[in-house]
This record gives sequence, C-alpha cells and structure tokens, in this order.
Amino acid sequence: MIGRRGKLLILLYVVFLAVLFLMCSTDLIIREPERDVYQIAVIIEDSRDDNYVNFRKGMDQAAMEFQADVHFITLYEKMDADQQMELILREQQDGADALIIVPADEDRVVSALAQGQVFVPAVLLGTGLSGQGVAGTIAPDYKEMGELLAQEIAAHEGRDCQVLIFEDPGKHSAMSRLFLEGAKDAFDSMGCRWKSVFFMENGRGAEDMFQDLAGERRERTAILAQNPEILTETAAILSEIPGFEGSLYGRGSTLGILNYLDRGRIGGICVTDQFGAGYLSVETAVRALEEGGSQGREELDVWYIDKEDLRRPEYEKLLYPVE
Amino acid sequence: MQGRKIFLMFLACMALTACGGDRKEEEKTSIRIGISLYRGEDTFINNIRGELEEKAKEYERRNGIKVILDIQDAKGSQNTQNDQVERFISLGCDVVCINPVDRMDASLMIDRAMTAGVPVVFFNRQPVEEDMNRWDQLYYIGVDAKETAMLQGKIVVDLYGRDPGALDLNGDGVVSYVLLEGESSHQDSLIRTEWSIQTLKDGGVPIEKITGGIANWERSQASALMEQWLLAYPDTIELVVSNNDDMALGAIDALEREGIDDINVIGIDGTIPGMEALENGRLLGTVSANKEVYAGAIMELAASRALDEPLPDEYPLEDGTYYWVLQQILNGEAKKD
Repeated sequence: MIGRRGKLLILLYVVFLAVLFLMCSTDLIIREPERDVYQIAVIIEDSRDDNYVNFRKGMDQAAMEFQADVHFITLYEKMDADQQMELILREQQDGADALIIVPADEDRVVSALAQGQVFVPAVLLGTGLSGQGVAGTIAPDYKEMGELLAQEIAAHEGRDCQVLIFEDPGKHSAMSRLFLEGAKDAFDSMGCRWKSVFFMENGRGAEDMFQDLAGERRERTAILAQNPEILTETAAILSEIPGFEGSLYGRGSTLGILNYLDRGRIGGICVTDQFGAGYLSVETAVRALEEGGSQGREELDVWYIDKEDLRRPEYEKLLYPVE
Repeated sequence: MQGRKIFLMFLACMALTACGGDRKEEEKTSIRIGISLYRGEDTFINNIRGELEEKAKEYERRNGIKVILDIQDAKGSQNTQNDQVERFISLGCDVVCINPVDRMDASLMIDRAMTAGVPVVFFNRQPVEEDMNRWDQLYYIGVDAKETAMLQGKIVVDLYGRDPGALDLNGDGVVSYVLLEGESSHQDSLIRTEWSIQTLKDGGVPIEKITGGIANWERSQASALMEQWLLAYPDTIELVVSNNDDMALGAIDALEREGIDDINVIGIDGTIPGMEALENGRLLGTVSANKEVYAGAIMELAASRALDEPLPDEYPLEDGTYYWVLQQILNGEAKKD
C-alpha cells in the first residue's frame, strides 16, 4: 500500500520526467545553438558534368569544411542561356543563399546581376567580367592559355607546320572564345599558318578530312581543339585512322583526355587547377555571405603538360586530386 | 482517481510536444534524392550515374517537379557510405538510393533510414534477404545474375556451333580458357562464374580451365593478371571469360601489349568502353542491361517514394521489392571467324 507521501513522490517523478522530455525533444525550453548551413546552387553552362569531375571534388571538399549544402545543376541543353537564367531565378526563389555560375551568356548574367534581378551573392566562373552584384570571379586567363598552347605547338611542331583549329560551330562560351583569341593572336605574331575548321557533332566530316590529309601527305599538320569535347572526339577518331601524321593539342583534363595523352594520341594539353577552382568557388560564396561585398577576382594558374609530365608528382596531384 | 489525473497530465504534456512539432503537409514541388555509389570509378556505375542525371532532368521536365540529386562516391569504403547516408538524411533527402559497398553490411544504413522514415532504393549490389525483409520501404533494382551469365555463355556456345575453329585455335578439340572474376564478396561475381561456365558445358563446348583469378572488377588488375598468365601459359589460352567489361578490357590491354590478336575475350555490362571494343573487334561479345531502363527504374521508383505516390506500372516489382532489368547479348566479331 503506497502512502500519501509515496504518491506525491511518484507524481513529482512523473512531472520531472515530463519536463525532461520537453527539454530534450523540443527547442521551446533549451534552444540548440543554430549552425548555419548555407544553401549554394552551382549552375554550369553545360548539359553534362564530364569537364567538372575534379571541380566537383574540390566543391564537395569545401562544402564539408564550410558547412555548405551545395547543389550542382547542369542545363537541359548545353549553352542554353534562357534556361540558365530560369534556373538562376528558380534557385534563388527556392532559397539558395548564394549562387555559383558558369555563364552560358556572360553578358546576360552580368546584366541580370547589375539590374538586381539576382539578390543573393553570385560567384562567376570562367569569366573575367565583374560588375555590380558580382560577389567574385574565379578563372584562369583563357587568352593566356591559348597563347601558351600556340607557343608550345610552334616549339614542338615547328613554325612552318600547318595548324588546323577545330572549332565548335555552335555558340562559344567565354572560355572558348578567349582561348581561341589567344591562340590565333599568338600564331599570327609567330608567323604560323592556321586555318579554322568547324568540327561537326560526333566528328562528322572530320574523318573524311583526316583521310584526305593522310592521303595527301603534303605537309606536317597539327590540330588544336577548341574545347575538351572536341579534343576527346578528335583523339578517338585519329586513333582509328592509319597514316595520318600529325599532333593533337587542346585544353582540359578529363580522365579520357589524360588517357589519350598517356597513350600518345594527344601531344599536349593546357590545364588549370579544377579542384582548386571548385574549392575556391564555394569558399568565395561563403565568404561573400559572411562578409558581404565583392571578394574580387581570383586568377588561376595555367600549365602546359605533355606525356612526360603526367607522372611528375606536382602534376599528378593537380590532375588526379584526392579528396 | 489520482492515477488517472497523473496519466491525463502526462498525455497533456505529450500533446503539447506534438503541437510544437506540427508541420503542415504541403504538395511537394521538389524532391531531393541522395545517391551513394560504391565506387565512382567503376565504368558501369559511372555510366548508370550519367543516365540517372539525364533521367532526373527528364522527370523534372515531364512533371514540373524539381529534382535535386546529391550524388556521392563512397570510394569503396562502407564507413564513408554510412556517413553519406547519414548526411543525406540530415540534409532532408526524401529518398536515398544506395549502391552498397558491402552488400552484407547494409543493416546500419537501413537502421538510419528506418528511424528517419526515408525509403531506400538499393541498386546493382543486392543486400542480403534478411536485411531486405526488415522494412516495406526497401527496394532493389538490378539484373538477374544467372540470366547474365547464361547469356554470356551463349555467346561462346553460338560461336562454337558456327565455327569451332574460331575458339579452338590449336585444333586439339578443347577450348582452353582463363577466368577473370569480380570481387569475391559480390553476389554477381560468384553466380556469373558458375552459370557462364555451366552454360558452356551444357551447350556442348569442350572446355578446359587453364587458370583464373580475382581482379575485383578492375581493368588494371585484370591486365596485370593476364600479363602473368600469358607468360606462364604461352600459346595455350584460347578464350578469356570475364565477369565484366572492365576486366575484359584489361585482358585485351595485356594481349595488345604482347601483340597477340587471336584470343577471344567476352565480357559483361555493355559499358561505353566495352561497346567501343566490340565495335572495333577487340571484344567478342558482352551482355548488356539497358542502362536507360536501369536508371529510369531507379529514378521513377525513387520519385514515387519521395512523393508517396503509387509505384510506377512500367516497372513492376517482384514481391513488392525487386525490379529486374532485362538484358541482351551484344555480339562483336570473332577474332578468327
């Protein structure tokens, strides 16, 4: 038989448990310190992320270190500026704290930022353009990259070598445009002969051209590919064509490109630190959120790499980064 | 009487707590799917990943529902994968899709998901039945490994029926083969090996195993093994049976280094590099699951779970849990056909 005092004790114990329960399961009484997790949307200009593998590793690393929740978004169609603008506005509306954008149309993005259509910090990649509303830019000097590659081609192939520049017939990204400008200017200043060739989708037309070149055997020919996709496709086509003597050059560091470089099907490439770019972009976005204002321009270094460089430790770290 | 009052007070406290956590159910305009891959470098998995991204965009366009895919690579570490699943849940993913590192060790991830009420779609590496039976919100999408192996065996049986000399290179009446196996812990590896060879025997191909080895699905490991075998058994090997395309390509790499071009190699998966090898005559044949259907099944099932909608009719589930993707043989040219 429990006495009056015993019942009181049980009642107190139940009340105590209830209070404990309330304290533990809700934030009404004890508020847990809030940790800001920044929502950051990364919107690239491409419909695939093949050229962003190392970039994503750097991005993920920074996301963990800076407590950011990063979404990586590709377009339905490559270089579709309309869709990119829709996505920018959608992500902003859906609560993104900051945006990281590789513009499909840089003028349009910069203008949208200047007009205040985008009111969260926006970090731009692959472009040197800055302006009102731009929280920071991260890019190598693509013009310098083009110049460097042209100089290396001239050094390896000789200035009398004919250079075919394989270009995308579609709209060029700012990166590609500047890269080609730099290369063409450098070829002109060195007195090298170059010719633009439109590289059709899936190499259409290119195979016939290679066959002709192989048949003619008139002069040594080098090929400069405008972007990583064209470089990869050209390397694949060249490996199937016997008799073509020429060297292939370009930019980019996808696994496919590095494999072709290793097998000697690509003569040399210009690369930049993609992992660093990914890391810096998230870091810059977080800094812009915390400190406000523009974080300025971060210029990434550019390197020329050939087969022998692949095994050098400093380049291994750059090309095959480990998170 | 007093006891009843105490009980009522306790109920009141609980009700208060419940009110504090009240959330209004709203129609979802976006879904978030966490995807953890056992090893992103695996060519087949990488192909599936690419297809998944395409399917997510297709779903978004078709249904007007934003799809956020969080794709993480566990790099072969079960601990890393456990952390990734934990993170997906804490970030509010509506559903998680897991390609388990260790199919025997899925229980911790299932525990986490069950506690949070987040459905799980496993794919490619099938957790043990005991785990799969723990909750009705666990699903598996993959291929029937026995069917895969039998189709692979059929490639050789058909060729032998057409032209025995294409396989029996030295004309001794026996096809001498080497076997490249995947991870010993992967269910498909064991089944593919057993049923591929059984199909050859059942199909009347006189076979003799020279040797075999585990190359863990990897091209480089397979290449190293093949190099050793070519040295140890010169002019003996007539056929390479591989549990997947990556290892088959590794064997082809070694054959090409040695300048050997008459040994036939068969793989499984129909990966993009595998298909290229098939087209240029380096691979005799492979078995491919339609990757578009594979990724489509994962995406549709995950989306239906995330939105709490009925399961899609076009992907009927066996026992309400399993979906088997159909496969087909892809033939190339025999080396000496």
